[in-house]
Amino acid sequence: MGRADRISGIFWLCFAILVTIESYRLGLGTLHKPGPGFLFFWTSIFLGIMALIVLIRAWVGRKTGEPKESIFGKQNTRKIIFVLISLFLYAIFMETVGFIPVTLLLFIFLLGMIEKKKWFFTAFVSIVVTACAYLIFETWLKSQLPKGFLEFLRF
Amino acid sequence: MDIFQNVLYGFQVALQPINLIYCFFGVLIGTLVGVLPGLGPAAAIALLLPSTFKATPVSAIIMLAGIYYGAQYGGSTTSILVNIPGEASSVVTCIDGYQMALRGRAGPALGISAFGSFIAGTFAVIALTLLGPLLAGIALQFGPPEFFALMIVGIMVLTFLSSGSMIKALMTAAVGLILGGVGMDSISGKYRFTFNIQVLLDGVGLVPTVMGLFGIAEVLENLETEIKRTILTTKIKNLFPNLKDWAESIWAIIRGTFLGFFLGIIPGGGAIVASFASYAIEKKISKHPEEFGKGAIAGVAGPESANNSAAGGSFIPLLTLGIPPNAVMAILLGALMIHGLQPGPLLMSRAPDIFWGTIVSMYIGNGMLLVLNLPLIPLWVMVLRVPYYLLYPLILLFCLVGSYSIGNNTGDVIIMLIFGIVGYLMRKFRYDAPPMVLALVLGGELEASLRQSLMMSRGDFSIFVSRPISLGFLIVAVLLLIVPIITQRKKLSTLAEEEIG
Repeated sequence: MGRADRISGIFWLCFAILVTIESYRLGLGTLHKPGPGFLFFWTSIFLGIMALIVLIRAWVGRKTGEPKESIFGKQNTRKIIFVLISLFLYAIFMETVGFIPVTLLLFIFLLGMIEKKKWFFTAFVSIVVTACAYLIFETWLKSQLPKGFLEFLRF
Repeated sequence: MDIFQNVLYGFQVALQPINLIYCFFGVLIGTLVGVLPGLGPAAAIALLLPSTFKATPVSAIIMLAGIYYGAQYGGSTTSILVNIPGEASSVVTCIDGYQMALRGRAGPALGISAFGSFIAGTFAVIALTLLGPLLAGIALQFGPPEFFALMIVGIMVLTFLSSGSMIKALMTAAVGLILGGVGMDSISGKYRFTFNIQVLLDGVGLVPTVMGLFGIAEVLENLETEIKRTILTTKIKNLFPNLKDWAESIWAIIRGTFLGFFLGIIPGGGAIVASFASYAIEKKISKHPEEFGKGAIAGVAGPESANNSAAGGSFIPLLTLGIPPNAVMAILLGALMIHGLQPGPLLMSRAPDIFWGTIVSMYIGNGMLLVLNLPLIPLWVMVLRVPYYLLYPLILLFCLVGSYSIGNNTGDVIIMLIFGIVGYLMRKFRYDAPPMVLALVLGGELEASLRQSLMMSRGDFSIFVSRPISLGFLIVAVLLLIVPIITQRKKLSTLAEEEIG
């Protein structure tokens, strides 16, 4: 865990420094009347100290020659990245394109391209799931999902 | 007499047809969630939270509560039949439950698990009925210093019981506190840590955060490895345990029930800790410890009773003190607040329908679960056969729609996805999420209690140690911090001595 701890320790230390500065800027107030930044100032200092401890432990471990380990396995990391990209694109285009088209596209992508299932199966499942999801969320639960360019259909 | 009248009122609320339906759906979904590996009650409650906005607060909480204790029932099915725990609280059930199944005794294993869960769950609800009002009465004497100290204890216990490093758990708790401060400060009216980003003006929402940390992150982690499931093909028969099974299990059920209940009340305890503790105790006191690991029925009965009892017990601090003892209760606390309720000692008087309706619905829910779990086992086996490549897109879709429907805002979806990445990275770098969630939920109240206490004492910190209850809580918190350090030092010095020797 040495390399992982070094990376995470540096990250959290930087985060703590940023929060400390911002909390100070918000105002610490007085002990009689603590300001909006009071609790977060001390919390971020505490976080910074903990991050330093994690960092120091990791560096000591490096010096004593710990075995190298990889944080992310190579297997399936690409799959995870592509799934994440598809989810972000879903979120970005959901309102402009509409719930039905983006959901259809998401399932076609996940089943057809990520899981590499047969196209007939992919198309069938995508259509069925999109239809059921629309019926459950829009018709039954009245979630007011975005219609996008299908707005003119008024259903 | 008072309690009896309150319970009757609770029945009046819980037996309304709409609440019965919500209770049924809650326990059904909970069982399903428990059966399916890769989806836990925390994620399920977070996913279904937006769908409760249209319901009344009573119905919503009844359903969400049903998911939690229902999942404890369902988790044992997959542990026994597939040797993969449906829930973390059913991990130990795999050890002896699967061995029993391999010997053709899956039926009695499933049966004793269901009956033990029912007995323990019912006991926990009865105890909740009796202890709840008592604790609420005591908590009425709490002021801001006591609440502040209690919340610190809650966070400290969760970090103490964290699976990984305690330092890392403390760090995630600190991050959770900071995240809880995002948005407008109610006292000064200043915006904190929003950086002019519109979606952050109302704060980092609890729902998208937990959906990301538990739902999305779980899916991303599961995508790394192919989960292979071999479901037992032998016929499952004799679901009712015989007299010998009962003789071997009854004391394990009783011990698990009491142990689980008390571990459920303690902040940071809960179903997972209870099930492990019960297994350890049963093995230790058994006359035949060598049978554990090879199909000892007590190794199934004890933990399964403990986790259900703990689930019931964990409602006590939530409903009476407003302190969630674990991550799932933290999400339920968020749910109560979203529905305009403030859990705590005044919940009983301000919303008796919620308090007593929820408690009584748990009696009804436990009965429904006993009926659901045994005859529907073939259905759960079918569900287990659903391949993960079909399951995870559905979970992702649920997360996306659920987070969007909170405020019809894409910003919430983006926050959820960001926390999904954060949650995944936290798992890779070995940081626990529950302390962050608890601190996020408690952060607002904790800050308010701190500021009110300091205003009361005109800036004098001794207010926290001059009041006995507050001092008691803080001593517990300090002990929880010191004990691991002392234990660690003793281990290191023993190792050093052995090396020299």
